[in-house]
Amino acid sequence: MKKVIASVAALTGAALVLAGCSSGGDGAASSSDASGSASGPVTLEFWHGYTEADGKVLDQIVADFNASQSDITINDTTKTWADIGDQLLTALSAKQGPDLVALPAENLPIYASKGAFAPLDDWYSSSEAAASLNQNAVSMEKINGSYAGVPWGFVPLSVIYNKALFDQAGITEFPTTWDEWVATAKKLTIDQNGDGTPEQYGLVLPDHATVGNGVWASLFYEGGGEIVDKDGNAVVNSAANVKTLTYWADAVMKDKISPTGVDGVGADKLFTAGTVAMEVGGPWMASVAEGANIDYGLAQIPAGPAGPASSAIGISVAVTNQADDAKKAAAEKFFDYFYSQEVATKWSLGSGWPPLRTDIPASAVSSNPVVAALTPMAGTARPLLPGIANSVDVLAAVDEATQKALAGGDPTSLLDAANSAVSDALAP
Amino acid sequence: MSATAQTRRTYRAPGQLGGRPRGRGGPRPARLALAFLLPALLILAAFVFWPVISALRLSFTDSSGFGAEHFVGLANYVEIFTTPRILRTLGVTTMYAAMFTPLTIAAALALALLLNRRTLWGRGFFRTAFFLPFIISMAVAAFAWEFLLDPQIGLLNYWLQSIGIHLGNVLQDPNLALPTVVLVAVWKSFGFYMVIFIAGLQDIPGELYEAATIDGANAWQRFTNVTLPQLSTTLAFVAIFALIAAFQAFDQIYVLTGGGPYRSTQTVVMEIYQEGFKKLDIGLASALSYVLLVITLVLSLIQFRFFNRREEAIAG
Repeated sequence: MKKVIASVAALTGAALVLAGCSSGGDGAASSSDASGSASGPVTLEFWHGYTEADGKVLDQIVADFNASQSDITINDTTKTWADIGDQLLTALSAKQGPDLVALPAENLPIYASKGAFAPLDDWYSSSEAAASLNQNAVSMEKINGSYAGVPWGFVPLSVIYNKALFDQAGITEFPTTWDEWVATAKKLTIDQNGDGTPEQYGLVLPDHATVGNGVWASLFYEGGGEIVDKDGNAVVNSAANVKTLTYWADAVMKDKISPTGVDGVGADKLFTAGTVAMEVGGPWMASVAEGANIDYGLAQIPAGPAGPASSAIGISVAVTNQADDAKKAAAEKFFDYFYSQEVATKWSLGSGWPPLRTDIPASAVSSNPVVAALTPMAGTARPLLPGIANSVDVLAAVDEATQKALAGGDPTSLLDAANSAVSDALAP
Repeated sequence: MSATAQTRRTYRAPGQLGGRPRGRGGPRPARLALAFLLPALLILAAFVFWPVISALRLSFTDSSGFGAEHFVGLANYVEIFTTPRILRTLGVTTMYAAMFTPLTIAAALALALLLNRRTLWGRGFFRTAFFLPFIISMAVAAFAWEFLLDPQIGLLNYWLQSIGIHLGNVLQDPNLALPTVVLVAVWKSFGFYMVIFIAGLQDIPGELYEAATIDGANAWQRFTNVTLPQLSTTLAFVAIFALIAAFQAFDQIYVLTGGGPYRSTQTVVMEIYQEGFKKLDIGLASALSYVLLVITLVLSLIQFRFFNRREEAIAG
């Protein structure tokens, strides 16, 4: 027994020694970083998830910025968004994380509420560019009264449709209201062999994990409801939302305009395979459709009883708390550069996302048909759950309600249950 | 002092063949052993013991992994046992283990018995084929199964439809998602346990079967009265390891269902991942890890005792 105790003690001692060797304390940047920033050029590590053509444009913007001055060097690293989600926590814990990080806007409050990001209120109050940004996009950056990031992308969800299937059905006008939308989807739904399972659907309405988690948020907005109100209260079970969910559950269950049990990724696959005529999607679906040789069109989500609206997919960039004052100042200079009219236009055209500045004329981005189509819709786009730290549980509760409703559940009781879960998630 | 006593005092045991003679200047066996063990111990200390100790400390804090953290006492443990959402994950994990463990053991044992027959043609090929899934990463296997099970383009659906069976979207069916991820895990891991059973079967003396046959035992009686008792130690090992693996289920669930639909496949480890990496509540995730550790430990001890008693009963 003594030997066992001695062994445990020895191992614990070894572990503590190792820990002592590895622990760096809770301070911000290391002294070498700080001295480096004071005496020479500042180097910023920048993680982002733009992996396609947009990534190349961003790389070029960073390279141009580096070449435009000699005080700041930005090293940008491309990772997938999923990798950033998985690695950011451990990297920040080990103080080996980036100084600048791009991440989906709904994740910003989670990190910001834990103190991972430096406040940027000074930049918003002093930068000329900040005042010209789309204020709906800016609103997704405010957490507990303080700005935790800057908008890097803000695009409304829209409907992508297969023009060839529309032509085959003799449809020449894209619907503008929900009733017209369902009627159009019915025309495009074809059950050739009459077995009750259509071979072609008019629409794919994912019931969970939708694109940017925004399909149901968009429909709720258009129905006159929302998930969380301006005061931060759960309002998922409002009468408007019950009506919206009932309307779409009927359209899917009774009219069979959409396959069931599909998530956002599955919806993309079905549209690409040419087995559905319409999908609510993000701007990247345009290039995906081109790759699949689908002649596509982009349109605003048809208006509901409360008018047109859409949830936006947002990307934010934040300065992590690893960055010292010099690095933060350098990051803010980069933001000023990025939001200059010229660079903001270049980024919009290259990324396929609408311009973040509201003073860029439509003619400046008309050369990119996707941007030209999406830019007019950006005004009705709303950020998804801005400032909500526990968006994970809020979205899971909404997903469960929509998924069960489209499988035949009672929308009223499902939204009551979701409201209760959302209230719990919002509780401090 | 007698001559015999003198002889005894001066007697030295001969050195081990090929071994180093014990001299005054040579290292003592304990030190030598420690020297050999030290690298492994240091690695274990750094990558196992220290994280285990750290996780225990974190479980009493509100740590997010960075920034300030505060001592919160037992608050995380209280939250675990008072939050229905988290308690449901314990239920899902138990259901998963209740399906995975017996299915894996049954599949592994059945195939081990079959592939232990010397008369079976292509025995080596089949052993390799059944073992193959084990060496594939679980994530890779899960991606392959995701394609196979896809309701629109999946081969499995296509094949089954040709014989009139409509499988549907099993991964989005709240009743079928959990059994499906269990089956994927069984397919992935039974080959490993099968090899262990084969090793156990090959240790059983052939005379026992001959004696049983002479006594008139049929195949089933030989299995229950010779094979199973002789395999009890192997069976205990497999059962305990399969149970531990079941309680650690994560990879294929992460890939195939993400814990859905309606959290019907949200196991404890999925919840730990979500709390820790998605909600940045490292304190709660650490506490949940310790709850899982204790549950696994208790179940393993129960199994140990069960199999020990069984072995004693057989021996007695």
